[in-house]
This record gives sequence, C-alpha cells and structure tokens, in this order.
Amino acid sequence: MKRTLWLGAILLATAQPALASNTLIAAQAPVAVAKSPMTVTPDREWNKMGARPGRNSESWTIDGDGLNEVTFYGGIEPDRTLFREVNKHSTPLPRFSSTMLLTDIPALFEASYRIALNTPVMKIDTVAPTTFLGHKAVQFAFTYSRVDEEVRRRGDAVAAIIDGKLFMITFDAPDVFYYQRDMAAYRAIVARAVIAR
Amino acid sequence: MRGGGWRQVAAVVALLTSQAAQAEPIPTLPPYSGAYQPQGVDERGLWMLVDENERSFRDSTVVINDAPLKAYIQQIMCRMVGAARCQTVRLYIVRDTSFNASMAPNGMMIVHTGLLLRARDEGELAAVLGHEFAHFELRHTLLGFQQGRKAGDIAAWAGVAGAAAWTYGGRNAYDTVRMARSVQNAAIGSTYAHTRNQERQADLLSMAYLRASAYDPHCFPDVWDRLLDKADATAHGRRQRSKRYDRAGFSDNHPTELERTTTLRRLAMAMNKPGEDGKARYDMALAGWRAQWIDDEIKRNDFEGTDYILRQIAGPDWTPDLLFARAELYRTRGHPHDLAAAVGFYRDVVARDPTHAEAYRGLGLAQLRSHDAAGAEALRTYLTMKPAAEDAAMISMLIQ
Repeated sequence: MKRTLWLGAILLATAQPALASNTLIAAQAPVAVAKSPMTVTPDREWNKMGARPGRNSESWTIDGDGLNEVTFYGGIEPDRTLFREVNKHSTPLPRFSSTMLLTDIPALFEASYRIALNTPVMKIDTVAPTTFLGHKAVQFAFTYSRVDEEVRRRGDAVAAIIDGKLFMITFDAPDVFYYQRDMAAYRAIVARAVIAR
Repeated sequence: MRGGGWRQVAAVVALLTSQAAQAEPIPTLPPYSGAYQPQGVDERGLWMLVDENERSFRDSTVVINDAPLKAYIQQIMCRMVGAARCQTVRLYIVRDTSFNASMAPNGMMIVHTGLLLRARDEGELAAVLGHEFAHFELRHTLLGFQQGRKAGDIAAWAGVAGAAAWTYGGRNAYDTVRMARSVQNAAIGSTYAHTRNQERQADLLSMAYLRASAYDPHCFPDVWDRLLDKADATAHGRRQRSKRYDRAGFSDNHPTELERTTTLRRLAMAMNKPGEDGKARYDMALAGWRAQWIDDEIKRNDFEGTDYILRQIAGPDWTPDLLFARAELYRTRGHPHDLAAAVGFYRDVVARDPTHAEAYRGLGLAQLRSHDAAGAEALRTYLTMKPAAEDAAMISMLIQ
C-alpha cells in the first residue's frame, strides 16, 4: 500500500510539467524566457503556454497558439534540434551546429518546420542582416501552410549565435488579420530583448 | 477415418494453394465499360465521401496545377492502360516527397512529386500508375471496406461470446474465452491478409496492362529494386537496420518489396516482351520541375537517401544543375568532410558553367564555414553577378 502511494506521488510529480497551465505575462515588466539568460520586456500582456516546444524554448500567445505565437529559443546547444522530435525514427529533425553561419539558420528553421509539420509548402521569403541581443544577427520572414488546412501563415524571426549557442525569437500567425495586427507587439519584444552577461 | 478425411482435404487445399502461388497467371484484361456508376448502398456511400474529399482537395495548396505537366502524366497513363480506361482518371499532382500514388474509387488519382522524381523513365511511372489503376478497376476499396466490416462483425460477436462465457462460467468457460480470442485475432488478421492479396492482384493486373502497352515490363521490378536500395541508403545514413529481408508482419497491408520485386522480375522475364522506356521524353518533360523537387527532397534531412536519388538521376553524366544540387545537399549537412566535398562540387559547376551565380554563393559559404578566407572572394563574385540578389545585404555582412 505504502509502495503504491509512493509510486502515485512520483507519477504526480513527473506529470506536473506536462499539465502546467498557461501563465499571464504582465506588460512592461522584464521577464526571463526559455530557461535562459535572455530577458524580454513586452509592451502588452501575453500568455505563456505551459507546454514547451523543446528543452530550451517557450511559447507565448495572445489569442491561442494557432493564431499568434511568439517562440523563444534560449540557447540551443550544438547537436540539438530546434524543438522536440515528432518522429525521430522515420523523420528526424536537423540539428544545430555551432559552426553554422548566420545564413544557415533560416535553412535549418525551414527544414525543421517542413519535417515537423510534414508540409512542402514552406518558404523563406526574405533574409536580412540585423542586430539582436547586441550581436550580429539574421532576420528572416517566412510563409507556410500546414497540411490539411488552407490557412496561409506568415512569420518573422530573428536569430544570433552567441558563444556557440543559438538564440532566436520567432513569430507566426495566419496572414489574414493576426499577422498584421500583432506584428508590432512581436517587434516590441525583440527590440527590448537583452542577454545577461 | 474422420481424421484421415481432414488430412485429405488439407492436402488438396495445400496443393491448390501451391499451384496458385507458382502459376500466378497474368490475367487477361477484363472488358471495360466507361462511365461506371456506383452500385448498392456501400459503394454509393463510398463515392459520396471521396467526391467530397476531391472537392476540397482540388483547391489545396499542395496540388500542382500545371496544365502541360498534368497533360503529360495523363498521356503516360493513357499509353499504359489504353484510351478507354484513362478517360476515367482525374489526375492531381501533389507536392510531396514520398514515393507514392493512389487512386480513389471515384476516379481521382493522386500522384506525388516524390514518385515523379524517383521514377527513372515513363515505363517505371506507368507501372506504378497501372498498379493504382488496377486497384480502381478491381474496386478494391469497396471490397476492402466490406471485408473489414465483416471481420469487424465477427470479432465483435466473438467478443460477445467470450464475455458471456466469462460471465456465466461453466465447465468449459476458459476454453470458450480462448477460442473467442483466437477468432478475434484471425478476423483482424484476415483484413490485413486481404489487403496484401489485393496488392498482389493489382501488381498482376498492372503486368497485364504492361503486356498490352508499348512499355518494357522490366520497368516494374526495376522501380521496386531502386525503392529498396533507397530505403537501405536512408537506413544506413540514420544508422538503422535494413528492412530489405523482413517478412510481412501481421499488420502489414502490403507484401514486402523484396517479394514484389522477385515475383515481378520472374513475370517480366516470362513475358519476354520488348518495349520502350520513354526516358528521353520523360527527362525533357520533367526538366523544368526537377530542381524544385530535388530542393524539397534535400530539405527532408535524409542525406544518404537524397544522395542515392541524385546519383540515380545523374547516372554517369552529372549535369551542372545536378552537381549543384549535390553540393547544396553536402553543404546543408555541413560536416567538415561534407563541406570539403561541397567545395569540390561547386568548383566543378563553375568550371563547366561560369555563369552559375548560385554556385559561387554556395562555394563561398562552404569555404567560410570551413574558415577558408577564399570564401569571401567567391561571395564577392556572387554579388557582382547578382547585385540585386534577395540575400545580398546578408552576404555582404558575412564578408565584412
């Protein structure tokens, strides 16, 4: 009986992260994201989603994850995927490498999305240099559609490689309405992102 | 005596099955009447479902609506199954890297770009399309649905019998429950076995189309052979076990590729019919599409599988475009030795086609990633050749 109780307690403890609920992120208050030294100060309220896309990442949304989603990648280490594998055996995701050039990051992102969502309809539209977290960085825009739905989705991302790790913030939303409306809120997050030294 | 009777019956059944397995006659083409309408409630219901699917599928973003390409693939279909049969087919080309095609009971045929890329010639594509058409002509979806329902009924009633025996007990309750379980397993297994048999029948009917067509029947086993080789290349690259010699499992709905290759090779040799493969026409018609489909393939993160496909398409003569694709594949994986190989491929491309700006871009990036300062020079060449390139600002930042 005692053993069963212990087993129950362990199961409950391990199940907790998966069941973690969404949390309100206050406006104008600095907050550390993705279990990383990256800190952002949003200009409006957001909801942090309980489910993380991967080990060093977290997602925020305003209206729901299919509608407007900002994802923080807080220092992806070499030989790690951007997010959790969908089917490691038959469709493994590509892995980040610290030797990558900034121009390789949009390609890594594109391949990861194509494989994880199993869609060929994914395209990097523009790639431009920028500064992010005080480092040379790449900014890129993309469009894609998920399989079995005809919604055209658009996104924007900014990424830098700092001390061999990948730091990135992405935004994606349906092209109709949400992308235009929430782009400014995403840009505000990126503009005020800092990394602790 | 009673036992002896069973043995005789079993012997006759075994003899018949072995003869059937050995003979595997290619059927004569059944008479074909066009404008078929669904019969009975099952078939009408099935058609209604797939009609609805087709309506939404028609406008999908993954469908390639290119009239000349569709017309060309339709022509291959007509050369394969004949003018009367091919009129029934409504073709949809889908941007999908997997090696696949399918045909719905209402005449909607879906062909993946992965199949178009990996078929070497018209004959190979025709054989696979013929196989799918055979499923359609033999109304396999309907029969599979009906068989599945029958097996489901048997499994459910066996479950009821088992549960009743368990509830009401009695001397032989345990045996009854075990028997009920066996019946359930057999019923479920029969559905998979039925599907595997349908695949064999479709292979045979496709061989019958090939016999009546202008194509060489050896194309059919050839395409399976290379499918096996590509799967092996993928498995090797991912450090996985080859499944080439695996037997068909309980829940497999296709016979193994090796079994199909062996059977089809034997049938093709027995047929002893010469024929064309239409490779020149095929290469010409797909020339404008291959770059995009190869690009889709490279982005699937299957290095050795993609390299195998490229080597198959190229044969002994690597065109600058195929060499460029190979260089991009190697640069994408980006191991130090891959980058060295990619640099070599890019150099070959610019040696043969000095106007290939993208090759200078790839060359420069591969060199920069290997800490080779010469990369900056190649990137400058790229920017001179394409000053208005989409990524010009980004590339300029890299070489500052």
